[in-house]
Amino acid sequence: MTPILEIKHVSKFFGGLAANSDVSFSMDEGMIMGLIGPNGAGKTTLFNCITGYYPPSKGDVLFKGQRLNGLQPDRVCRLGMVRTWQKVRPLTKLSVVDNVMVGALCRTNSLKVARELAMEQLKVVRMDHKADFIAGGLPIGERKKLEVARALATQPTLLLLDEVMGGLNPAESDEIIQLILDIKKAGTITQMVIEHDMKAIMRISDRIVVLNSGEKLAEGTPAEIVSNPEVVRAYLGDFHA
Amino acid sequence: MNIIRTSAGASPVSITLSLALLAGLYLFPRFVQSPYALHIMILIFLSVIMGEAWNVIGGYTGQYSVGHAAYFGAGAYTTMILLQYKQINPWYGALVGIAVALVVSLIIGSICFRLRGPYFVLASIAVAEIMRLCAMNLKDLTNGAEGILITEIPPLKFGETVITDFLTKVPFYYIGLTIAIVTILVTWWMQNSKLGYYFQAIREDQDAAHSLGISLSLFKSTALAISAVFTSLAGSFYAIYIGFIDPPTVLALDISVQIVLICIIGGIGTIWGPVVGSLVLVPLSEALRSNLIAQGIFKMGLASEESGVGIFLKEHLSHAHALIYGILVVVVILFMPDGVLGWAKKLAAKKGKG
Repeated sequence: MTPILEIKHVSKFFGGLAANSDVSFSMDEGMIMGLIGPNGAGKTTLFNCITGYYPPSKGDVLFKGQRLNGLQPDRVCRLGMVRTWQKVRPLTKLSVVDNVMVGALCRTNSLKVARELAMEQLKVVRMDHKADFIAGGLPIGERKKLEVARALATQPTLLLLDEVMGGLNPAESDEIIQLILDIKKAGTITQMVIEHDMKAIMRISDRIVVLNSGEKLAEGTPAEIVSNPEVVRAYLGDFHA
Repeated sequence: MNIIRTSAGASPVSITLSLALLAGLYLFPRFVQSPYALHIMILIFLSVIMGEAWNVIGGYTGQYSVGHAAYFGAGAYTTMILLQYKQINPWYGALVGIAVALVVSLIIGSICFRLRGPYFVLASIAVAEIMRLCAMNLKDLTNGAEGILITEIPPLKFGETVITDFLTKVPFYYIGLTIAIVTILVTWWMQNSKLGYYFQAIREDQDAAHSLGISLSLFKSTALAISAVFTSLAGSFYAIYIGFIDPPTVLALDISVQIVLICIIGGIGTIWGPVVGSLVLVPLSEALRSNLIAQGIFKMGLASEESGVGIFLKEHLSHAHALIYGILVVVVILFMPDGVLGWAKKLAAKKGKG
């Protein structure tokens, strides 16, 4: 079986700075891949390289065997890969359901069908009661859920979540964790999750990739990662390793 | 509360009202023969067409083009040049003008849409200025600064039947009204279609829109093309109606700014905003220009015509029309950031609550 996503020796340079250098890993269908690393490790840059916001300076990104390099984000989305944003980007003046409809319109031209799809996704994130609210007025927890619903509405096969739990309180985080596990259980969507909350990432991930200063430091199951001395050193310094 | 109604279901009341208004507008020339009144109405229609056209790219898609004179001028010049050199009926010339404006919009779009925010605004101004300078200097084609004057318009024919020969302002009234209604209908259709959703998504957040499968270049160009078509039509209509064009009247920055103001004053990104903006701006600028305000002051007895103040007002108020106009625009922008329409809606909502 070809992996759903293959990252081969991807590097991204900004001038002389290597935000990613020679990162390789691959993901199988249906899994949840955790992507962790200290601040500035290059996690979001890697997301941007994968989804078409930056062309990688070197290396290849293969989605279901197809090379993506240089494809614009909208084409990548139509192929079935969608990302959410660490800094949420609601369409503030539109209503919640309209936000999700914009995602759904990726697969249909009919507003009626799009509205039905959008309401379905709002039910998935338990926000259907807020459908007619203006997105700009939502609190952060609901904005994050809206972000996920809108991404899901594009009917992806690969979902990339960039710190969906950042800035949330424990109850809200738990809700998102449950949501991610539910999506996995439904079985059609593979997920890659960037997260700083270690407890959460250990709980949901099947495998974890650790980035540090743009390079891949380690890859393995959550249990392997927590006992890896290199990872501990990257996070906590030499003293603890 | 932050709840809004999204489905734009038209109520029976609003449909009846619109139909009555429409009938009134179509019957208006039967009861009002004053050429001046008709002239004002025609200017209002023209302004509505330009405002609705800009609204598509500026209001819905959020790309603040301040270079719409380019399309206005493209329509006006194409029509007039074809009439002058090839004797092509201007109503067909207007169609050619649309084609020219479409091409211009694609070229401008492919250059300017690489830029965002203020840089896009500056680039759009620059391109329109280039067009103005070309019109000034390509004297063989455009007559340069002398402009193009037509004294008679060929009658509009359908086969052999003459529909109208344009001896009065009435045919212009109906044509202007019809085009204005068409632009409003197109805007309405757009708002309730996939295009409207995609345009607004681009306005709210380009990167988010891009990640949701929206091709920025395709949909920005589409919005600009729709906008250019109607702006060009307005330009052609203006040229035929006035009968004279030169670079300062159809290609200058003034025109571009005027077009943007119609929307800003009325309310950006709404169907009725440009209509409200036109209803405010056109009569206002006419009143200021023609010294109606000074006469009003005399009539109300606020100042006598012979007094020092009166003489001063009579002599200088009409010269100061641009100043007063500017001050009013600033006041609206400061105190009604959502335009007159948004302000009225807020007021109505407050009253509804209290």
